Amino acid sequence: MHEFSMTTQIVENVLREAEKHNAKKVTEVHLAIGKLTFLGIEQVRFSYNILVEGTIMEGSKLYIEEKNGVVECSSCGYEGDFMYEDNPAYHVPTPTLRCPRCGGVVGIVGGRECTIKSIKLVV
Amino acid sequence: MARLKEVVKAGEGEIYDIELEADLLKANEELARKNRDLLKKHGVRAIDVMGAIGSGKTTLIEKLVQELKKKYRIAVFKGDLTTTIDAELIGRHGVETVAINTGKECHLDANLVGKALQKINLDGIDLLFIENVGNLICPADFPLGSEKRVVVVSVTEGPYMVVKHPFIFMDADVVVVNKKDLAQAMGVDIKKLTADVEEINPNVKVVATHSRSGEGIKEVVHALGL
Repeated sequence: MHEFSMTTQIVENVLREAEKHNAKKVTEVHLAIGKLTFLGIEQVRFSYNILVEGTIMEGSKLYIEEKNGVVECSSCGYEGDFMYEDNPAYHVPTPTLRCPRCGGVVGIVGGRECTIKSIKLVV
Repeated sequence: MARLKEVVKAGEGEIYDIELEADLLKANEELARKNRDLLKKHGVRAIDVMGAIGSGKTTLIEKLVQELKKKYRIAVFKGDLTTTIDAELIGRHGVETVAINTGKECHLDANLVGKALQKINLDGIDLLFIENVGNLICPADFPLGSEKRVVVVSVTEGPYMVVKHPFIFMDADVVVVNKKDLAQAMGVDIKKLTADVEEINPNVKVVATHSRSGEGIKEVVHALGL
C-alpha cells in the first residue's frame, strides 16, 4: 500500500549511487522483496516506471526477486518456511506463528526485507 | 589477507555492476531501535495502538488515560493524515498530546515518532501511547520502537476481518475486540473472532471491550501489564 513512497526511496537511492560513479545511464536494478511485507510487486513496477521517467534510469530493467517468509522457534530450534494452516471454516490457508514441529510459538526472521541488491551502470 | 594485484576500473562507456545490499525497511528498523533505546534510557514505556478507521483506537486511549493518569505521567502521540481533532479529544484529559500529521502517508514511521520524541520532556513522563494512522495494512511494515503493540478491531468491521488481515496480528501483544455491545446486532461471534486471532498468533492476549462505557478497560490494563 506504500509502494509509491518505497519506490521513490529506491529510485532516489539508485540515482544517488549512480551519481557517485558519474554514470550516464542505469541499465538494471535488482531488488529483493520479502513476501511478508505489504509491498505488491505489480504496484512497485507501476510506480517505478513512472518515477524513472526523465532520469538516467529511464528504460532500465527492473528485476524483483521475491523472498519467502522464514521463521525460527525458540523452543525446539526449528528454522524454515513460514506456515499457513488450512482453515476449513473459511476455505483459505491462514498464516500462523505456531511452530510446525513442536506447536510452540515462532518468530519471523526473514521475508520482511525490501533490498536494493545491485545495479548496473554505464559510465 | 590476500593482496590485491590490481584494481580493474571500467573505462568510458563500460558497464559497471554494483552490489548495494541496501535494505530500505531495515533503515526504519534501525530508527525504531534508536527510539526504543531513547525511551528505555528515560524509563518510558511506550505502547503503539493500531487498527482500522473507526475501530475505537482514540476512545480506547482516552479511557486508558482516565484509568491510568493517577498512576503514571502520560503522553500521547496521535497519528493522522491531517487534523488535530483526535489529539484535542485526548488532550482534554490533561495529558501532553502531540499530533503527528503524516500528510499522505498511510502509516507512522520510526522517523516521525523520533521527531515527536524530541518535542516532549521524556523525563516528565513514564508512559507513552502512540496512536497509529487508521489502517490495518501498512503499519505492520514499520515498527516504531514501542515496547508493546495493541491492535484494536471492532465487531462492526464484520465477522471475517481477522482472517482477512492476518499479518497485523502477528505483531500484536494485545488485541482488543471493541464494541462488544453491538456483537449480537452485527451477527458477530466474539469467541470466533478471538479464536481466529489466537490461531494466527498463539502468544497474543485478547480482550473484549465496550470502550465507550469503560467495560473491559481494566482487563486491557492488566493484559498490558500496566
